[in-house]
Amino acid sequence: MRLTGKVVVITGAARGIGRATALACAAEGADLVLLDVCGDLPGVPYPLGSASQLEHTAALCRDRGASVLTAKADVRDTASVRGAVALAGDRYGRIDAVVNNAGIAAPSGKTVHEITEDEWSLMLDVDLSGAWRVIREVGRSMSEQRSGSIVNIASTAGLVGYRHFAGYVAAKHGLVGLTKAAALDLAPMRVRVNAVCPGNVRDAPDAEGRMLREIARALDVPAEEHVAAFTQSQPMNRLVEPEDVAGAVVFLASDDSAQVTGSVLTVDGGFTAH
Amino acid sequence: MFPGARCHALRVRLATAVRAEALTGPANSPLWVEDVPASSTEPIARRRLAVEIGRHTTDLRCTLLRYRDGLADLVLVADRGFLDAAGLRAVAAALTGASPAEPPAVFARAEVAPVAEAGLPDWAAAHGVVDAGAVELVLPPEEAGDADSWRTALAIALVRYDSVDSPGWAVVGTDRGALRVTPGTAPEPTGEPAAAGLLVSDVDFGADEYRPCLAPPLPLTFSVWRQDGTTRLRCDHRSGRLSPAQVEQFTRHLAHVHRQVRANPGLAPDEVELLDAVERDRVAALGVPDRPLDTTPTTIDAAFRAVAARTPERVALTDGQVRWTYRELDERAGAVAAGLRALGVSDGDRVGVCLERTAELVVVLLGVLKAGGTYVPTDPAYPADRLAHTARDADLRLVVTRLPEFPATGATSAVTPDEVVAAGSEPFTTATTPDDAAYVIYTSGSTGRPKGVVVPHRNVIALVDATRPEYRLAPSDVWTLFHSSAFDFSVWEIWGCLLTGGRLVVVPYSVSRDPLALRDLLAAERVTVLSQTPSALAQLLDVRHEDLAVRLVVLGGEPLDARVLLPWFDAHPESACRVVNMFGITETTVHVTHQTVTRREALAGSRSVGPALPGWHLYVVDPQGRLVPPGVAGEVWVGGAGVAEGYLAKDELTAQRFTADPARPGGRVYRSGDLGRLRPDGALEHLGRIDSQVKVRGFRIELDEIRAVLLEDPVVRAAAVVVRRDDPRDAATTRIDAYVVLAEGAPRETSGVRGRAAAILPDYMVPSTVTALDALPLTTNGKLDAAKLPPPVVTAKPVDAPTGDDDLAARLREVWGAVLGVPVGLDDDFFELGGNSLFAVRIGARMREGGLPPLHLRELYRHPTIRSVVAAIGNQDN
Ligand SMILES: NC(=O)c1ccc[n+]([C@@H]2O[C@H](COP(=O)([O-])OP(=O)(O)OC[C@H]3O[C@@H](n4cnc5c(N)ncnc54)[C@H](O)[C@@H]3O)[C@@H](O)[C@H]2O)c1
Repeated sequence: MRLTGKVVVITGAARGIGRATALACAAEGADLVLLDVCGDLPGVPYPLGSASQLEHTAALCRDRGASVLTAKADVRDTASVRGAVALAGDRYGRIDAVVNNAGIAAPSGKTVHEITEDEWSLMLDVDLSGAWRVIREVGRSMSEQRSGSIVNIASTAGLVGYRHFAGYVAAKHGLVGLTKAAALDLAPMRVRVNAVCPGNVRDAPDAEGRMLREIARALDVPAEEHVAAFTQSQPMNRLVEPEDVAGAVVFLASDDSAQVTGSVLTVDGGFTAH
Repeated sequence: MFPGARCHALRVRLATAVRAEALTGPANSPLWVEDVPASSTEPIARRRLAVEIGRHTTDLRCTLLRYRDGLADLVLVADRGFLDAAGLRAVAAALTGASPAEPPAVFARAEVAPVAEAGLPDWAAAHGVVDAGAVELVLPPEEAGDADSWRTALAIALVRYDSVDSPGWAVVGTDRGALRVTPGTAPEPTGEPAAAGLLVSDVDFGADEYRPCLAPPLPLTFSVWRQDGTTRLRCDHRSGRLSPAQVEQFTRHLAHVHRQVRANPGLAPDEVELLDAVERDRVAALGVPDRPLDTTPTTIDAAFRAVAARTPERVALTDGQVRWTYRELDERAGAVAAGLRALGVSDGDRVGVCLERTAELVVVLLGVLKAGGTYVPTDPAYPADRLAHTARDADLRLVVTRLPEFPATGATSAVTPDEVVAAGSEPFTTATTPDDAAYVIYTSGSTGRPKGVVVPHRNVIALVDATRPEYRLAPSDVWTLFHSSAFDFSVWEIWGCLLTGGRLVVVPYSVSRDPLALRDLLAAERVTVLSQTPSALAQLLDVRHEDLAVRLVVLGGEPLDARVLLPWFDAHPESACRVVNMFGITETTVHVTHQTVTRREALAGSRSVGPALPGWHLYVVDPQGRLVPPGVAGEVWVGGAGVAEGYLAKDELTAQRFTADPARPGGRVYRSGDLGRLRPDGALEHLGRIDSQVKVRGFRIELDEIRAVLLEDPVVRAAAVVVRRDDPRDAATTRIDAYVVLAEGAPRETSGVRGRAAAILPDYMVPSTVTALDALPLTTNGKLDAAKLPPPVVTAKPVDAPTGDDDLAARLREVWGAVLGVPVGLDDDFFELGGNSLFAVRIGARMREGGLPPLHLRELYRHPTIRSVVAAIGNQDN
């Protein structure tokens, strides 16, 4: 087991990629602090993760032998992030890895000049600033313990553009930039920062994922059509599974990647190889 | 220190609820309750418990793991400085309701003091890297002892494991800081580094599980506590290049020592027995090779005759154009023997042989043996007084030589081989037995004049029989005679070849010094067995050497750094050529141990010289002659088929160095004076000569190596290196002082010599002082007389130009002077004044106390004078 004795904090852990990542970490022996907003956000046109979904993720992890602490935390809110990190410190005494996974895909679907001030701010606040807030809270203790791994879940939208997704693309490009800058800042303290850029991830029923569906809705195309198009756009000719993303995260959280920092790992079936 | 190193933990198995409200006051920490979705016996439950009990904290953490089967574990983890063992137990009692609701008030409230860390002791070191781990012994309850008895036992065990150069005390790390423990006296606090830590708890934890530390604060951390009606002795070790088996062995011996200390508290370290009788037998057997020797004692000349009778027409000897068959060699040697008899040689007489390395040399050596004599080889290149010494000491009546003038000693007459043959050819008979001396070879050793080692025929026969099967020595082999007949490596070359029916190729002196010529000879003669010293082989590796037919390389004569062999392996893979390193001593007949060296050993930098040859055996003993445990360094004693008869006409020395076999009644051993340790697999690691071993601040120092580096300096003609300690009680005052005789015309200034040495040697081996002398003081035997060396000259520079900050400089001079114990000038080099890292730490501490600006160790290394330090501090301010 590659994460035995490590404490991993995951944001947006109620469902989707967050849930799959939590399960993979638990299977590798980690103890977990699982965070989620556990409620809807005004301005996001689809339901976010619920407290029940978060507890379900926790129960699945406990079945795999992990000690799990759950907390409701909104990455837009400094106080709530700070409280969750402090709780993790009290319970476990240290944090070895953080996975900045919380994110939203919409409001999207508009041409760049039609995006409203509120829509723009909300997108950047969650998908970019949220990750920075968490890094700010764990950076000090990781620096002091001279070890730690931060994994930011960006997107292929952090590497290339997508029509009608200017806010999301800007936020994810920003997250890739944040990854590299933070990696340089923290390298002397032996804290690593890396990004994973998933391609189109299947809405797996087990993980209760729904992002692909929401993207289709934002673009106003039928889900099946969208899935078919996105499947074909990835040279491996299939969608990425949440577990594929989780595998990359486990590698970056573990000591196997001891010399990997500032890197961007794509899990996109070859989409960005074009 | 790892945070977990400061913490201890307690686990209480419960079937009832806990009273979380019982925790008040300073112990008022939250109780984390977790439901584990498994019953208490399932792997998941065990894993959860293992992680929880190993999770450190800065104060106190209480966690309750509740399992499906209704059982629960209360896990308490606390910083030992925040809550001691009794406190931990009281918190548990309060939570479980075992004691009245009164909140526990037992707090340690003493910071766990950091202890400087020493490197892993040699006896625990291994090549492989292992994970952190622990061994735990369950001892009877009456062995619980107390902090005092365990401290003493640990110090004794450490002292005894450091058998060769222990100062008689050991540094033990505790939660109250490091202690210097001298058995028999009160322990003293010290700032010295420790490799071993000790945590002793006097609390009885009953049925509960206790973990004295979550991670070892020091590389080897021993802990003792009571649990389950037993005493537990545990050693937690770090991850690293360490042998868990050695740690287990030491822990067992610690328990054994503790029993003796309890029974007899005044016991001196030397009176303690490390090994019990059973283990002694086991350790004695470790140095005995698996395969027994199969040999039939005979004489060398008889064995040769048997080979010659079997293969009379095979070529025995090649020397340039000369090619003699076994029959011819036999006849020629027979003629020499008859001549010698005619010249008055009779059975048991010693005959000097002082000939260049030629076919004739081999004929004469064999001739001496055939005549019933004992050959005493000397090298014609030796200085006259050494030849004269040998002739006198061996009481030689006859020396066979072609030297125009053999240094006459009155009683000795010199004859040429031709004169010998011409002297007569009457038939004769001899009555030599395998126990008679075959040769006397003179060795210098480190003490006194060369002494003659008397080696019987049967030893040489045993050597050949011990190696023949393993190395498939056969008539198809072609050997070199590369070495001087005065060096016993030649005994192996000549008789190893001729008694196994091979062909011996004489390597003339000029060829042996010329790698290209040697390579050509080896290729032309299709040599298959090549014996070399590592330095000679290294020279051969400098020239192209692919086209050789060598199938066996035997290395000997000096320590091998196996890395030099890598280019050899590149050209001659292990499947085509076997490389064997043999550790040997003249007094035990050429070789003692053998180790096949492969790329693996070469890359690992292995120091193993392998197990003893069949028929030979090894012991490693302490200065009292007791066997030391495997892995512990001590003097190598060699017993068995190779032990020589003794030194010629030196009964006293013979009695000192050749003594009774400690484990095999009736046998004799040779005390080698070499330092070694026996690995648990029976292989010997050779660590150099005992008399040149010194430890400075925990580092093993080879004075010879320092001396060799000084001698490489073109301006140095002679050098001596000694270790001194100004204050015998203060290890920090240990210093390496070097003395050099400088070349004529060289400046009398030695800082250049020291600077050059500092560029080559590791820091801890760089001499603190280098003093120039006109000549080194010698004893009458020509040995260095260390007692007559003057005190070292510490060069304080006379003129002190101002520094810009005179006040700071003055205060620094005061501090440095007080710590170093010498007056310090502005431009004196900290290291030249005897400074070292311990002194640097003390200076740093005093500067802090005195309110002076902080000075990092690294800064001091970069600015080793007061002037440069003042300048550096000035720059910091700006
Ligand atoms: N699904 C994909 O195809 C895909 C592709 C590339 C990148 N990603 C990225 O992966 C991450 C996870 O996506 P997913 O597919 O699992 O989505 P998801 O919507 O299924 O899960 C996201 C989780 O984040 C939580 N969250 C949202 N805003 C939050 C906030 N402010 N504070 C705390 N929690 C919040 C939600 O409650 C939800 O549980 C996102 O960052 C997303 O951008 C997804």
